[in-house]
Amino acid sequence: MSGHARPKTPSAVPPERLAEILDIAEDGIVTVNLRREVVLFNRGAARIFGYAPAEILGRPLEDLLPLADRPNHAAQVDGFSRGPDVSRVMGDRRVVAGRRKDGTAFPAEVTISKLEHGGEPLLTAIVRDATVRKKYEDALVQMNQELEERVRARTAELAERNLQLAQKNEENELFVYSVSHDLRSPLVNLEGFSDELRLSQGDLEKLLRDPAIPADVRDRATDLVTAGMGESITFIRAAVARLSRIIDALLRLSRAGRVEYHPKTLGMNALVRRVVDALHNTTTEKGATIVVGDLPAAWADPTAVDQVFANLVGNALNYLDPARPGRIEVGGREGADGPDGSPDPAANTYWVADNGLGIPAPHLPKLFQPFQRLHADRAPGEGIGLAIVRRILGRVGGTIRAESVPGAGSTFFVTLPAGRSGGPGPSREDAG
Amino acid sequence: MRTDNLVILLAEDDDGHASLIQRNLKRAGLANEIVRVRDGQEALDYLRREGPFAGRASAPPLLLLVDINMPRVDGVGVLQAVKADPETAKLPVIMLTTTDDPREVERCYALGCSVYVTKPVKYEDFVDALTRLGMFLAIVKVPPTRATGGGSGA
Repeated sequence: MSGHARPKTPSAVPPERLAEILDIAEDGIVTVNLRREVVLFNRGAARIFGYAPAEILGRPLEDLLPLADRPNHAAQVDGFSRGPDVSRVMGDRRVVAGRRKDGTAFPAEVTISKLEHGGEPLLTAIVRDATVRKKYEDALVQMNQELEERVRARTAELAERNLQLAQKNEENELFVYSVSHDLRSPLVNLEGFSDELRLSQGDLEKLLRDPAIPADVRDRATDLVTAGMGESITFIRAAVARLSRIIDALLRLSRAGRVEYHPKTLGMNALVRRVVDALHNTTTEKGATIVVGDLPAAWADPTAVDQVFANLVGNALNYLDPARPGRIEVGGREGADGPDGSPDPAANTYWVADNGLGIPAPHLPKLFQPFQRLHADRAPGEGIGLAIVRRILGRVGGTIRAESVPGAGSTFFVTLPAGRSGGPGPSREDAG
Repeated sequence: MRTDNLVILLAEDDDGHASLIQRNLKRAGLANEIVRVRDGQEALDYLRREGPFAGRASAPPLLLLVDINMPRVDGVGVLQAVKADPETAKLPVIMLTTTDDPREVERCYALGCSVYVTKPVKYEDFVDALTRLGMFLAIVKVPPTRATGGGSGA
């Protein structure tokens, strides 16, 4: 603004217009001289502080500060006016306090700058009332705190719930175990004594062949012993055998939940190869082909994973469609889809796909529940294989789901924690 | 020592199981008397000639058949007590149980049981197991007619 030559710009504003612009600026503009007397006080400042310019011009700057801040302020202003800085944002855009004419304090955002005028430094403060901003900021901070608090509480609640569920699960398993264990004892009697009955029945039949027995008595007795007793015993024995299988199945199921698992890095290619080899006879018998792709390493208990794949491949073989040559594919890829669909790099995906009978959609939700049998005529069993598979996978940090098209085949997708691969190389079995 | 007059001690709380075991041992050709007690405490009383068995003859039983799940003192308790007492430590103990829980089997063998027999719910298997048991006993047993050498077993 001095008379020095400056590049003239077409839009240069004349000084009197500048003063006008300053005056109507939204922000408050307050200028003080070296003695900290107010020499400029625009309309914005008047609106913020509640003073008319005439009331404050010539008054000490301290009038605009809360009483508590006044003693330190003079030194700070003096320091700034003598120092090398030409501008400074007070409190680094943090809010400082201002004082209105009515004595109330308010948060203010203040930028301060220094300008020489006729050899005297003038300090200009641009003041913005930060009451609203401060209010929002405080609310935001509080909301954040509340949110964090809620997250903490919810996390603790979930952890507690998880613990309770785990305990409940353990209780359930123990319950199933002891019940099935206790059920076996009377079953030994049922089985044993129905067999004793059968032996007695045989002895009776032999006795009845004695020619000394009158024919009409023999006929009636034989009918009673063979048809009557015999049929009853047969039914009892069939029922006992079924009960026994169910109890055994329950014991196996509860055992899958109680066994301790020891995870390690698993070379899945070798593991699945062993599973497929063990099923070689059945595969040949069924005229089926099993193709195994390249499988990424997993981190899990070997026995558990062995059981899972033996079950899935065994099922695939059991429920092939006789109408076409059976084809089963075991495949895998690195990574998995998390529960919300987002990719999970900490897990790997494996699948067992077949071109077998398939599973009708209504049955899919029940697939992993115990004692559910869809093709009961195809293979013996109690319908707990997949229930055990799911339970095992739950224990080793894996998941399972199925997709199926009836008449075309089924695919079971398994995820397992990813193995800690020791780099690429043929030695997949090296990890202890 | 003649063994045909030695008894087999059967500790079994379930009457049905006890009856089935006795029938099948007889069917397998075992001639020895079977003394049946209803729990582990009674089994220990018998061995120590205490309580109801205070007056019995001093000969120890030929072997013990012990059910695992019994009231008062269970089968494992009997096994432990038998193995801890030098007087009875050498007695063969056969554990009978309805479950084949691997941990239980392991525990019993660690405690020194001779044989661990699962009571199979399949009756044929049960007869099989007991027949094998009977044959094992037949080897130990010296038939009275040939009891000349006071002979050892197999």
